Amino acid sequence: MTDALQFLLSGIVVGSIYGLIGVGFTCIYNVTGIVNFAQGDFAMVGAMSAITLLAFGVPLPLAVLLAVIATCLVAAVIERTAIRPVRSDVVRGIIVTIGIGVILHGVAALVWGTDAQPMPAFSGDAPLRIGGATIAPQALWVIGTALAAMIALELLFRKTFLGQMFRACAINPFAAGLVGIRVGTMSLISFIVSGALGAIAGIVVAPIALTQYDSGLQLGIKGFVACIVGGFGGPIGAALGGILLGILEAFAAGYVSSGYKNAIAFVLLLAFLLFRPGGLFGDMEKVRG
Amino acid sequence: MIRMLLLLATLAACTFAGSDYAVSLAVVIGLQALPALGLTLLTGYTGQISLGHAAFYGLGAYGAALLSRAIGISPLPGVFLASLLVGGIAWAIGWLVFRLKGHHLAMATLAFGIIVQIAFVEMHGLTGGPNGLSGIAPLSLFGTDLITDAQVLPIVWGALILALLLAQNLIASPVGLVMRAIAEGDRVVGSLGNDVAAVKRKVMMLSGFLCAVGGGLYAHYVGYLSPGPFDVGFSVRLLLMVALGGFANVWGVLFGVAFVTLVGEALKPLGAFDVIAYGVLLVVSVIFFPEGLFAGIATPIAVQVRRLKKGIAR
Repeated sequence: MTDALQFLLSGIVVGSIYGLIGVGFTCIYNVTGIVNFAQGDFAMVGAMSAITLLAFGVPLPLAVLLAVIATCLVAAVIERTAIRPVRSDVVRGIIVTIGIGVILHGVAALVWGTDAQPMPAFSGDAPLRIGGATIAPQALWVIGTALAAMIALELLFRKTFLGQMFRACAINPFAAGLVGIRVGTMSLISFIVSGALGAIAGIVVAPIALTQYDSGLQLGIKGFVACIVGGFGGPIGAALGGILLGILEAFAAGYVSSGYKNAIAFVLLLAFLLFRPGGLFGDMEKVRG
Repeated sequence: MIRMLLLLATLAACTFAGSDYAVSLAVVIGLQALPALGLTLLTGYTGQISLGHAAFYGLGAYGAALLSRAIGISPLPGVFLASLLVGGIAWAIGWLVFRLKGHHLAMATLAFGIIVQIAFVEMHGLTGGPNGLSGIAPLSLFGTDLITDAQVLPIVWGALILALLLAQNLIASPVGLVMRAIAEGDRVVGSLGNDVAAVKRKVMMLSGFLCAVGGGLYAHYVGYLSPGPFDVGFSVRLLLMVALGGFANVWGVLFGVAFVTLVGEALKPLGAFDVIAYGVLLVVSVIFFPEGLFAGIATPIAVQVRRLKKGIAR
């Protein structure tokens, strides 16, 4: 029983990470209709920048702030130079964002080397006990951040004027342009917000999982699985999908085999894509081939 | 026809120039051109993206190696048999994934690729796990082992040229027209009475078969397999080759493969730069050269030359 509780807790923590990345995906997708395959690399860039700044003796809050700003800048540059020319074409959009992921990953290998980098926890390392299970204080930061990001983004999309403009761009960019919405600017803003979300996710997670130049791909794919499971398009769905995936993975690693842990996530992805491509909370019509 | 002769002449020059390095490069290019050609048919002509083609290459390689070790079947029929099997697998995967399109198709194929790679690592009993599979018999023809690169070259390029001719014929056929129409929009094609899903599945099957032929020959050529070369990075590199070649262009992809291989060789001493170069090439070629790098550079030059000639004539 203690085992199960432990798996559940660590599943929720890991799932929150996936959810955070997934929320970043939905942000860009909801505005541009593009799935950004470099989303996980935003997290890597954010975490690596924060680690470097900390190593130079910058205090933690300032380091986090600067790292987030740096990642936003990277995201903005990417949107202006690479995404803009291919906006309408799905296949080319996919290939371009993959290419960007590869570039970020190669540059990171050059700048930060190929070694995994640790980051100190925000509030100490003394584990907290819940029932018979233990949980690191950093895990609470992860869960809290995921919840905050999910709620903030949901409010942004549903309740603000900016959110309405965002959704208008996703539904019909041409019509949105006709009523005076600057579609290009909206796309830029969505990339910046998504870069910030990715960076925050990477930084919050860094003390738990080591960050490496190539950790972006895995994170990105897991985040996408989270989106699929939850139904593409909604931040709440993405976050819940992430947590579900995390719990499933934790139990699979605990009771089946840790080597196959990653495969399970992808089997889940395939199963959802094939039998319920709209996800748990989404609609089916958009994705059918 | 001229292009085929030029190709044969280049290969002959490589072989008889006596440079072992040139010959081994030609073999490597030939081995990668087979899967790249397969991906061109699927992504370029039929418009269906796949991020999992490294898996078919890997399945072909492990399949051929295991067939030759377990049953003792001789290498070339073994490669053929393994490729047929992988073609069947590709058909089945197509049956699964072509319910999806766009981003979802990309992710589904990516997931398939990663699952297969994890299986290569985890199935120790069959694949040797991360340690790999060694002692794979070299290729042989009529009982003679083909050890040197110069001996392997005709087999690899023979298979590739056959595949090229086949691909050209396929594209010129009515089915090829349907394929290209599907890339433009499958609703219209379906409304004309074509079974879109069946065509996609068959192209996927052929594509997987070509990948597996490349993989099987690779296995017997290097004699040692590990899961490393069959990762997502290779799938992306195949996509890069297709993009550089201009997507729907059988001969362009050959250029793409050669270009990527040579760039990779040139940048190898510099360390991680090759990855950055691949990424930059992919982005630049998709944005600025949708017809492929070769056409993208050659066409403006040809236009200028024509303009100059006109100017002189006047």
